[in-house]
Amino acid sequence: MIFSFNQHIIRNRVIVERFILLLFVGVLNLSCEDQINPTLEEAPPLMVVDAWINNKNETQIIKLSRSQSYFDNSVANPIIGATVTIEDSEGLVYSFIEQEEGSYQWDPIAGIPFGQVGLGYNLNIQTSDATYTSISAMNRVPLVDSITFRFEKKNFILPDSYWAEFWSRDLPGIGDTYWIKSYKNGQFLNNPDEINIAFDAGFSEGGNIDGLLFIPPIRDLINPFDQDEDDDFLSPFSDGDEVVVEIFSINRDAFIFLNETALQINRPGGFGELFATPLSNVPTNITSSNPEETVVGFFNVSAVSINSKVLNVNEVPRN
Amino acid sequence: MIKSLLLTFLLSLGLSIHGTSQEKFTVSGYVQDASNGENLIGATVYIKEIESGAVTNFYGFYSVTLSPGTYNFEFRYLGFDGLSLEITLNQNKRLDLELIPEGTELEEIIIEAEPEDINVSGVQMSTNKLDIQSIQKLPSFFGEVDVLKSIQTLPGVTTVGEGTTGFNVRGGGVGQNLVLLDEAPVYNSSHLLGFFSVFNPDAVKDIKLIKGGIPARYGGRIASILDIRMKEGNSKKFTAQGGVGSIFSRLAVEGPIKKDKASFIVAARRSYVDVFAKAFTDVLSDGAALNFYDVTLKTNYDINANNRIFLSGYFGRDNFKFDERQGFNWGNTTTTLRWNHLYNDRLFSNLTLFYSNYDYELAFGEDDLDKFNWNSEIDTYDLKQEFTYFINPNNELSFGADILLYNFEPANAIGVSNGESRDISIPEKKALESSAYISNDQTIGDRVTIQYGLRFSNFMYLGKGQYFEFDQPEPGIRRRVTDTFEADKFEVIKNYANLEPRASIKYQLPTNSSLKASYNRTAQYIHLVSNTTASNPLDIWTPSTNNITPQTGQQWALGYFRNFGANNSIETSIETYYKNTTNQIDYIDGADILINEFLEGDLLSGKGRAYGLEFFAKKNGGRINGWVSYTIARTELQVDGINNNQWYPTRFDQLHNLKIAAFYETPGRWSFAANFSLISGTPTTFPTSRFQVQDYTIPLNFFNSRNNIRIPAFHRLDISATLQGRKMKRGKTRKNENYWVFGVYNVYARRNPFSIYFAQVDERPIGGNPIETQATRVSIIGTLLPSISYNFKF
Repeated sequence: MIFSFNQHIIRNRVIVERFILLLFVGVLNLSCEDQINPTLEEAPPLMVVDAWINNKNETQIIKLSRSQSYFDNSVANPIIGATVTIEDSEGLVYSFIEQEEGSYQWDPIAGIPFGQVGLGYNLNIQTSDATYTSISAMNRVPLVDSITFRFEKKNFILPDSYWAEFWSRDLPGIGDTYWIKSYKNGQFLNNPDEINIAFDAGFSEGGNIDGLLFIPPIRDLINPFDQDEDDDFLSPFSDGDEVVVEIFSINRDAFIFLNETALQINRPGGFGELFATPLSNVPTNITSSNPEETVVGFFNVSAVSINSKVLNVNEVPRN
Repeated sequence: MIKSLLLTFLLSLGLSIHGTSQEKFTVSGYVQDASNGENLIGATVYIKEIESGAVTNFYGFYSVTLSPGTYNFEFRYLGFDGLSLEITLNQNKRLDLELIPEGTELEEIIIEAEPEDINVSGVQMSTNKLDIQSIQKLPSFFGEVDVLKSIQTLPGVTTVGEGTTGFNVRGGGVGQNLVLLDEAPVYNSSHLLGFFSVFNPDAVKDIKLIKGGIPARYGGRIASILDIRMKEGNSKKFTAQGGVGSIFSRLAVEGPIKKDKASFIVAARRSYVDVFAKAFTDVLSDGAALNFYDVTLKTNYDINANNRIFLSGYFGRDNFKFDERQGFNWGNTTTTLRWNHLYNDRLFSNLTLFYSNYDYELAFGEDDLDKFNWNSEIDTYDLKQEFTYFINPNNELSFGADILLYNFEPANAIGVSNGESRDISIPEKKALESSAYISNDQTIGDRVTIQYGLRFSNFMYLGKGQYFEFDQPEPGIRRRVTDTFEADKFEVIKNYANLEPRASIKYQLPTNSSLKASYNRTAQYIHLVSNTTASNPLDIWTPSTNNITPQTGQQWALGYFRNFGANNSIETSIETYYKNTTNQIDYIDGADILINEFLEGDLLSGKGRAYGLEFFAKKNGGRINGWVSYTIARTELQVDGINNNQWYPTRFDQLHNLKIAAFYETPGRWSFAANFSLISGTPTTFPTSRFQVQDYTIPLNFFNSRNNIRIPAFHRLDISATLQGRKMKRGKTRKNENYWVFGVYNVYARRNPFSIYFAQVDERPIGGNPIETQATRVSIIGTLLPSISYNFKF
């Protein structure tokens, strides 16, 4: 519940804050932020596994790297020379070959994509230090039935704007978990506040919304919420923009991982800090054979459904 | 069983007292403020001949039983002229009297008031009283007089930071304070998330914060009691007071319904910016709203010399609406009915019936086809009977019992998606908390006073509904339900009981000083579930269950109290305390605390400890007055599953906490006030490293530690100046009083850190490119805030 709900609140928080500012003090901004450079404790680098595999007909990539100091803004150090395989529950082995440093890849053969819904997958990574293993399963995914646009007239925050919504129904049966990714004109909306995950059709396990169309906050989160140079909000979509929506089935532990990741990285700042949760480490589902070589990161296998739509403003009623 | 034992004990005690009462007589009555008929709480009644006396209770009642003879009685109350009476006692006497506020011109005979030294001579320690006049003088946020903010100037009281709800006392959490408004608990004491408190200063009479040595009559929370009493209303004449501030406009009207017999007060406040804004912007069209308000009502009726009833109520609400259909609101409602009855001139009884509710509501969704509505509430119904038996000047016995029914509605929620709806409500939970207590205040010889008591509390988690059993993985991991059971209506699912001994002792030293020590054990059966930095309006209260054990706390405190100067004009104290607590709630990482039927599986339990040293010095009276408080303290938790199972400081742990409140009154119409705070930085968690998964940059704390770093220290100066209206008009005394208050909050505009957060820069990352991460320091109030308010009384 908390994650998506917070996210909804956080989006609304921008509105609430503006609202309060507008009403209270006009231009006077009470809260303020400064960049600082505190000294952090030194820590040794850890093995990082970034293994999110799907059944799209494209190259599948597993990245192995090392963690770095928090303020080290360079590209992470790759881990080279590892042996990486995924074996499915029927004994089929997929070998991932290091094509670039630290980037282990598998390409579809004869147009047949990775995996099969319903099977389990074992990840195996061997480096000179240890063997790392993990398991995942490719779960079912519902179709994205359609995408629509709606018009909303200007309010005190947003200009006249076009919002996209996707229409898809959670598969009946409790416990399906999804990651909904959206793209605007080919660009993946990957801001921390755009992480959009669902537990059945709702926010969370406790929420228990099964078998419905994904609920509105989830449908709406496919929209970018960008600002221009003057910090004014932009309409999520304009005439001719294309939106692509992909639903990835994910494992329940991957849902928890993404949920906690969002809590950790989606930091709106300002008044929102009053309601922030403490910094804590996100979970991992990778196991190391060597207790000296700790590992972070995640392995997940997804089935994906896709749909897209181009905005033609003439087709959207302006009421 | 225990109750019947208690009853037998009480009866036998009563009988034995009656057995010896023939040769003694009682003087009893109410002490009131002559100007408005308000009962004076804590006025002292001193009898010279026995060098001892009594203190009026919460209803202004006192009773002293003495051998026949002639005695000199002195009645005193801070800020009032003392009154001395020679009383010849040859029968029981009822003596209701009124004290006159200092500085009032009078013809009556007044004695030079003997020094008030209750802070030294009383047995109660770790207790602070703030009178509403001092609170009104303190510079405040936006110039709004604030009861809760003012108690933060006292030693041992901290907060997580500016703008946060609630307060922390001696290392306790926000949800471990029992905030009482005329005996009814107030579950959320903040307006606008935490910037203002819900108590209207115009309706508040008395504020008492008990941090330690908690008397047996109080229970249910482990950290502190904030006992707020409302005015009864002027029983002499009609008055109105109010004001227009930066945030609120206020109006309070009080007056007699029947002179000296019945009176009332109605006090209301409302934020008015929205009203003002409507003229300038269309933000508030489409049904959008932003406002908060509260209404406080009280009436009382003096039926006769032995019976008096009080009815008081509070209603407050915060409304945020983005449009007609979407938004959220929250608020408290309390109603208290009390009946004071004198069974005889030594047995005072108070029967209280109260109802308290806190609820919030959220609504999202543009239309009925797609919406999300959610509300949550906690209801409390309580019946409480308290007796005070004024046995003799050396013994004052209190006893009583309390029964409290809770109804928790964690979530009534409905999600509608394209016309299809799902009820995702969580069933309500019921619980019954009952308690009985007995306590005696006893004076032994010239030097020693002791207060000792015992509270017995019992808690029943009741059906109907489902309850769960969880597995026990390694701590820190979500626990999963292994078994589900059904309970019938009012079936006791789980019962808890606690004995809570309480004791305080005072040893009078020469030179106007005393040593005091206290011990208390307290139990808390309901828990505020909140895993954010500051508590917020959506936090829910949850009962102890078969999986959540009640919290208990023990506190030992030792203090030295000394007054200096003529009239005890300078009060000082040094206190030290040590506390340990059990079953403190913390949360697994990523805990799902809202609308989660299996919330219990996401909670962790641990223990706490807190210790500190508090210094307090206060100067009363004179042109320059005020107080200084300094606390050096530690507050830590140990919870399996957090910080590698090691002790860690709480988010509100502050090593040093210095507060200064100073007032200067000129001979003319101006008076000035200043308020300074210097506080050690609170702890927070810094990452050591970062790593990337799917182009998200995730912070990592290699050592898995919690609250390993401190943010920089906080300091802030606020000032205010008050300009009294002219007292005279055309040579005559004006009937109306008015004054302006000009204030500046955060005078030197310091950007005090509230928190430091770590995040990737706020721009869309491009796959494969390095992502920049940074640390940001947030100041909730990053600037100086001038304010102005106009106040009147007539």
